[in-house]
Amino acid sequence: MDWISPYTALVAGAVAVPALVLLYFLKLKRRQVPVSSTLLWKRAVQDLQVNAPLRLPRKNILLLLQLLALLALLVALGRPVLSLDTSPPRRVVLLIDQSASMRATDVAPTRLAEAKRQAREVVESLRAGSGWFAGSRSDEAMVIAFAGTSRVLCNYTADKVQLAAAIDSIEETDGETLLSDAVAVARAYATPAGTEDKNRSAETPARLELFSDGRIADLDRVIVAPGELNFHAIGRTADNVAIVALQARRSFENPEALSVFVDVANYGAEAVACEVQLAIDGNVRSVEAVTVLPRSAGKPGHTVVSFVLSHAGAGVLEARVLRPDALAADNNAWAVLAPAKALAVLLVTEGNPALRSALKSCAPARLDAIKPAEFDRIYAAQGALELSYDLVVLDRHDAVPPLSGGPSAGRAPDRLPRGNYLVFGRPPAASGARAEGELKDQWIVDWRSRHPVLNFVNLDNVLVARANRLVLPRDATVLAEFGDSPAIAEVRRQGGVMILVGFDVLQSSWPFDAGFVMFCCNVVNYIGREAAEGQAPGLKVGQPLSVRGAPGVRQATVTTPDGAAVRVEGSPSGAVRYAATSRAGVYRLAVEGGADHLFAVNLLDAAESDIGAAHELVFSGQKVKAEEGGPARANQEIWPLLALLGLLVVYVEWYVYNAKVRL
Amino acid sequence: MSEGATPTRGARLAELLDARFMASLDRLDITSRKILQGKLKGERQTKRRGQGVEFADHRQYVPGDDVRFVDWNIYGRLDQLFMKMFLEEQDLSLHILIDSSASTAFGEPSKHKYLRRLAAALAYVGLVNNNRVGLCTFADGLTGRLLNMRGRRYLGAMAEFLLNAPADGVTHFEKACRQWVSGRMGAGVTVVLSDFLFKEGYEAGLKRLIGDRYELCVIHVLSPQERAPDLAGDLALVDAEDADVSEVTISGALLKQYQRNLSAWCGGLREFCVRHDATYVLTDSAQPADRLVLEHLRRHRLLG
Repeated sequence: MDWISPYTALVAGAVAVPALVLLYFLKLKRRQVPVSSTLLWKRAVQDLQVNAPLRLPRKNILLLLQLLALLALLVALGRPVLSLDTSPPRRVVLLIDQSASMRATDVAPTRLAEAKRQAREVVESLRAGSGWFAGSRSDEAMVIAFAGTSRVLCNYTADKVQLAAAIDSIEETDGETLLSDAVAVARAYATPAGTEDKNRSAETPARLELFSDGRIADLDRVIVAPGELNFHAIGRTADNVAIVALQARRSFENPEALSVFVDVANYGAEAVACEVQLAIDGNVRSVEAVTVLPRSAGKPGHTVVSFVLSHAGAGVLEARVLRPDALAADNNAWAVLAPAKALAVLLVTEGNPALRSALKSCAPARLDAIKPAEFDRIYAAQGALELSYDLVVLDRHDAVPPLSGGPSAGRAPDRLPRGNYLVFGRPPAASGARAEGELKDQWIVDWRSRHPVLNFVNLDNVLVARANRLVLPRDATVLAEFGDSPAIAEVRRQGGVMILVGFDVLQSSWPFDAGFVMFCCNVVNYIGREAAEGQAPGLKVGQPLSVRGAPGVRQATVTTPDGAAVRVEGSPSGAVRYAATSRAGVYRLAVEGGADHLFAVNLLDAAESDIGAAHELVFSGQKVKAEEGGPARANQEIWPLLALLGLLVVYVEWYVYNAKVRL
Repeated sequence: MSEGATPTRGARLAELLDARFMASLDRLDITSRKILQGKLKGERQTKRRGQGVEFADHRQYVPGDDVRFVDWNIYGRLDQLFMKMFLEEQDLSLHILIDSSASTAFGEPSKHKYLRRLAAALAYVGLVNNNRVGLCTFADGLTGRLLNMRGRRYLGAMAEFLLNAPADGVTHFEKACRQWVSGRMGAGVTVVLSDFLFKEGYEAGLKRLIGDRYELCVIHVLSPQERAPDLAGDLALVDAEDADVSEVTISGALLKQYQRNLSAWCGGLREFCVRHDATYVLTDSAQPADRLVLEHLRRHRLLG
């Protein structure tokens, strides 16, 4: 046992003990009681004094007890500590894993709760600032919670209440586990700028206390010095069945047919029979019983379950493994089935009534027509600026001379804004295709009638008077052919789709064919589906939701899977982003004055689902073993016990004073 | 003692003795072992009615005898002078010494009142049976006396005297006894009613009271508070008589020692009485006075 402030106690004792004894020797003010005769009392007192084997009057016992109580309080004042640690003050960084795997319930109630408990213990073991005489500084700690991202919840402080509050504020997330950020942040805070303090020299680097289950994805990117990091392993079992992949695809040919693939992984050592349920908008559509193979050779067993459903419209698809296990977060996965989108179409033409009326009949959300020169002025010069139209129809754009006397007159622009295009005539250079020479009086001889664009389109009787001979890039898909040249092709560029039609429709008989309107509508639908799929991708936890709204949109509301509504400000360009996707589930983003957007945010992380706790971490070759047992408690002060003892002694003294039968 | 004062005195008597008690006392008389053992064996004449006399014997007249007692009938028959001899009338005196020092004022119920009730009961028995009754109160010497009472008509005076008896002053028992013995005459019973808490001791005083012609009866009255003190804490005990202060801290051991001393004190008194052929009765003021008189004193053959 050591003392933190012995002199305080000595000074107080030097004052208090003589004062107590002095008080004791002061004449006791006795209550006067008249009695008939003091004869017998006097004798009794005398006899008692003579006969008492131990001459210890009760008053002395009271004094003794009072002294004992005072002593206990004085000792408490001296602040005795058990296992005094006089090393320089430490700085501790509490790194607390809040990733999805920490939601596992193999440690009651959850791993995260256990981690928080252990972290609080570490906080409790911090040495507080010493008394008036010792003059040493207290230990400090900071709290960082990390999952996919790291957050500093509390900067270096010795305030245990603040630290405990910071630890308590850590919530479960469904994120992955990335430690490197957290370590980098911890080191950045370790040497605060402008701090000139000998006690905080580089000789006492901050100690990292890592509370995790050891499923850390980026261990090889973290370098720690030996002894710098203490690893508190949390968690036991590895038994977990998880959905690690979910894909919903519409059939290429039949958009109503929906194929869903669910990859179920088993991280346990035994084969697991379970049921996988598929629901759309909360209505269960299919349940399939599967047996997932056990883990073998360190790799989890996988089983892919595929469902084929018929569902044309939009909806939220939810796959669920119907088996309770330690980690519930990875038993669900969601996918958003987007509806075909009503498109905003920009028709760039010198004037083409046939095309215009055909597009109009496809019921786009908006159909604007501008001249090619105007289009160039607005967009082409600005290069990769994004379009606010879902589909741009370039009709005979090559017929327009370039604005500045460029080298190639009558050529489509080199660069196009990103987007989806339907090009009639010479293909733009951005498509990677080019036109070499001209063909005359061509019949379309073959076409892929099963492609969505050419669905129900008959090209049998289409005569093209003048056409470009298309030379396509290798990844292009030919949809229709003349005798010796592609007539219609599909190219995917810059995340968009380009449908290249190698001729001017006005130079062909196609506008007089019903198939032309059908073709236009197919393109619009196809592009619309593509656009919808591109708009609602499956997101992983932690990835931001992002919606390209109309310019001027300022406000949006995000409804999280828990049902909480969050207001989000849009950027001036109309983009709305929401980054706090810490939980898996379906997020609904409602743009003010616009449509709702659904986002499926999924865990779908094999590393997180593998919840078997590691008891050794390998950081770039540096092995760190898990700490056994809880944190050692240094500097345990025992003054509360002593104060309690003093109180008890005072009680005993009071009892002795009052009790009728004594000694 | 004017007859006119009797009703009030009767009322005063009722303050000390209730009617039922008095009725039961009527059946009692003072007895004395000493007189029974005296020269007139087996009898102790009482003067119940006028001059009722009882013939005992005749003897020859000798000159100088009172001619009133000559048996003229025998002279008429035998022509000789014989004297009639009657039983000697034993005149029994009952003397009651009542402690009226300040210490008797203590106790709940009060010892003082209890002592006076006892004295009244005994005096009542004595007066009703036409014994000579004398009452004395003592503290520092005799503080009051009412002597030579005989007959019921003194009941009121007796009650008045007792009710007016004070309870203060220090005790000087030996002095009181000395004073009293010097004025005592005849034979009979002496009853001492006191708490016997005398710092000087009781032996010297009691020894003076013991004599051939007087039987001594000691009635030792303590209050319940003296027999089992209910004190606690650090106290300064003040003596009621001499204001002597005794500082005590009440403890279990002290209380035990007190009890031990008290029983030793009482035991010593009892032993003294037994040794000197006196009757000793210990009672406390919580006991009903009638019960003491009707049971204990009869058992001790003070009353019969």
